[in-house]
Amino acid sequence: MISLERALIDLLLNIFTREELNAFLRSPQNTATIIGCLIAISGALLGSFLLLRGMSLTSDAISHTVLLGIVVAFLLMTDVFGMDGDTSSPWLIVGASLAGVGTVVLTEMLYRSGLVRQDAALGLAFPLLFAIAIILVSRYAEDAHLDEDAVLVGEIGLAWANTNSHCYQHCESVTITPDHPAAKLTRQCSNCRELGISPRDDGAEFVEICGNCGAYSPARAWSAGLLQHQPHLVFFPKSITVTLVMGLLSLCFVVIFYKELKLTTFDAGLAKALGFRPGLMNYALMILVSLVAVGAFDAVGSILVIAFFIIPPAAAYLLTDRLSLMLLLSPVIGAAGAVFGYDLARGQLFGIWDLGAAIAFINQSLGLDLPARWDSSISASMVLMIFLFFLLAWVFSPRYGLISTFVRRLHQNRRFQNQVVLAHIHNHQYTEGREIELRVDTLHLHFRWKPEKMRRVLSRLRARGLVRMVDQLVELTERGDAHVHDFRKVMLATRNIPDID
Amino acid sequence: MAVNGELTSDYRRVWLTIAIIVLIGLIFLPLSQVVFGVRYTFTVRVVALGGSVLGVISGVLGCFAVLRRESLMGDALSHAALPGVALAFLLAGRDLSVLLIGAGIGSWIGLRFVSAVLSTTRIKQDAALGIVLAVWFAAGIALLTYIQSIPDASQAGLDHFIFGQAAAIVESDIELISIVGVAVLLVLALFWKEFKLVTFDPEFAVANGFRVGFINTMLSTLVVVAIVLGLQLAGVILMVGMLIAPAIAARQWTHRLNQMVILAGVFGAFSGGVGAVISAFDSDIPTGPTIIVVAFALVVFSITLAPGRGLFWSAWRQRVDRRRFAAQNTLRDLYRYASAHGGAGTPVPDDFLRGIDDRSASLGLRQLKSARQVEFTAGGWRLTGSGVELAKEALHNLRLWELYRLHADELALPMLQEDRQRDIRKLLPGDAIAALESRLEGRQS
Repeated sequence: MISLERALIDLLLNIFTREELNAFLRSPQNTATIIGCLIAISGALLGSFLLLRGMSLTSDAISHTVLLGIVVAFLLMTDVFGMDGDTSSPWLIVGASLAGVGTVVLTEMLYRSGLVRQDAALGLAFPLLFAIAIILVSRYAEDAHLDEDAVLVGEIGLAWANTNSHCYQHCESVTITPDHPAAKLTRQCSNCRELGISPRDDGAEFVEICGNCGAYSPARAWSAGLLQHQPHLVFFPKSITVTLVMGLLSLCFVVIFYKELKLTTFDAGLAKALGFRPGLMNYALMILVSLVAVGAFDAVGSILVIAFFIIPPAAAYLLTDRLSLMLLLSPVIGAAGAVFGYDLARGQLFGIWDLGAAIAFINQSLGLDLPARWDSSISASMVLMIFLFFLLAWVFSPRYGLISTFVRRLHQNRRFQNQVVLAHIHNHQYTEGREIELRVDTLHLHFRWKPEKMRRVLSRLRARGLVRMVDQLVELTERGDAHVHDFRKVMLATRNIPDID
Repeated sequence: MAVNGELTSDYRRVWLTIAIIVLIGLIFLPLSQVVFGVRYTFTVRVVALGGSVLGVISGVLGCFAVLRRESLMGDALSHAALPGVALAFLLAGRDLSVLLIGAGIGSWIGLRFVSAVLSTTRIKQDAALGIVLAVWFAAGIALLTYIQSIPDASQAGLDHFIFGQAAAIVESDIELISIVGVAVLLVLALFWKEFKLVTFDPEFAVANGFRVGFINTMLSTLVVVAIVLGLQLAGVILMVGMLIAPAIAARQWTHRLNQMVILAGVFGAFSGGVGAVISAFDSDIPTGPTIIVVAFALVVFSITLAPGRGLFWSAWRQRVDRRRFAAQNTLRDLYRYASAHGGAGTPVPDDFLRGIDDRSASLGLRQLKSARQVEFTAGGWRLTGSGVELAKEALHNLRLWELYRLHADELALPMLQEDRQRDIRKLLPGDAIAALESRLEGRQS
């Protein structure tokens, strides 16, 4: 992990100066946006396949268990093995991913037993695992990162402060021993409490305690004032590295196994017959989903992460029928949500509208007294922004959107009305009954339409030059006649009905 | 007659289960006082009472959620209540009934959103539920974060709707919960037939002129009410467990809706009350999650032990079946081999029997030997007199079954579920058996 970070920084230092890089990463906005984008990209790539397999809610089950896995691994690490409690430790990631895959296996076993249905099995698994995790958190892990708020929303806004330091020049590590001139020594009575005497008494024995001994990395040594030259440091947020690794893993997985994923998703039976292993692919996907859920846990918590898995692919699914395009669109939607979500959390919609004005309006119209500054959770705002893009896709999608569906229905409706009226005229124009059937003022009665509706249809047809009025009767023009013959031919051909003329 | 007998035993089983649960609850109360040192302060009593009442309501309505395969809908709807709570607080202030109305509206909008997405797009239900769950929850979190920036202190505790806030339940809350709960149960009782019909056979209901859309909406609304009431105790994340776990546990014990509903209510009351008491062991144990764990323990208990369906039950039945099949198969193998090699009394080599299926053969031989139907001699296993009788009997039975299968229609015999392990002479009337026997004789001669 550290060497990967180093390589990445080396690469970046070719382009930027060290000061620029540090200044860039020290901004909460830049770091949060980068992390949000990376989570959105990996979530969207994997989530697309989950959506198409109808397994979107499995990501919910996994994200809940991942919390339990993290808590248990954390407690094992700190209380049993006495290690440092660090939420980005690889052991946590391993433990939590195992737990995630374990849940999937368990819920499958539960509903294969035939006693509980699939939805009920999942619905039992989430709250139970979450409940156990919460009990453990509130009982044993009140310190560290694992408080309940972090579980819910993560700490993406503070990610910039949790960094690894990399030193490039004047790198001096300092180890302070009690002999070191900078060591701060204090004398402490070692047997006073035991014997119940004061340090001034004769029998008191003293030991020297060193207050600041230990190994100092260059960064710590400089801030403790132990170095003459300021080391050239780059501070790199840990979460960026973790999410970057997850993003690259998901990308590689999708690119390398594109064919296999596509086949097993759309036709598992064929895949099996051709010698692919749909089960194996499924579990590989679950492992990656767990990894991403763990990687994202620090930043966005264990519930909001499912939004990154489900919503961008759902939006892309409304926009396209092609898997490759969906895999391109959904990360873009997710990343855009992350970028604009940060602004939303700070009260800016797309950097144009200020939410403060809206709040002021609400205050004024409802007589309330709400604070005008909208300052809210970053991760939740990112989710809301992604949802906004979903709504846009739902309304405006060229093929499946509400508007295009409405317009299409309207067109179909009109075409149908035109056709039935034309067909009616055509049927009666050359018969005796045309005096009754084709009178303009009674035509609507034969269709049981309202007069206005018939008037609209007729004026449309007249405007297109398909009908004309002769002595209060409608009749087809030559163009209208040709038109009726055309669409009848098409209808008869497509419906395969014998011609009745 | 058989159907009636099954029903009676079904009823007896349910009453027995209820009695056991109540007994455990009654034992648990003094036990918790003596062993764990729980002091039944006023607060603990109020919380336990509230937990039980809410458990009844959510258990009863959870049955419909589970049977209609809408468990995950419950999960999404409970998450969706959060923004409603926050908005109600922002607009109207901190009053429990107002907050609960807000929660209900929030869930209800979530419900409508899911149906809108499902009816106008090709997105499937799981993704639609996931969207509602995540987005409504995010909106709630965003609003709560905003509320925290309000300098007024009265918002304290609002975020307890996320994990539940059992300790804050007071007497007046229980009054509110009970009144609404009784109203919900009354509606349920009034529309019992309609709810049952749309749960099990919506197409039939449509065909018979019931307003299925309206009944569905009413049922969903009742589920939303149950969720909203339970939020105080379990919180938006865990509420779904409170809703469906008692129902899933109850489902294991019975096949009848009315029994399931009663049992789910009892299970819900038990988990609510006992969970609340357990969480009083120590101030560190949160109430909502504990209730969920107790409810899940009931699920595990039911899945393993429920008669007829449970895991132990089916494992035991499998074991019994395997033993019976092993004995019958071994007997048949012995008899056939011996008859083909010079008469029923001929010893059969051990290798031959074990060569077919060693485990099953050993199992069968052990049983036959202990019943003195077979004995081990120098040449191998030999059928005793009673063994030969039994084998002939079994073979005859098998032949009658085969004939029944071939000629049942032709002879107009009554319908039977084919189970060749059972004695056909006890299942069919005498004249039918006589007809089959005459066929068999005709065949053999």
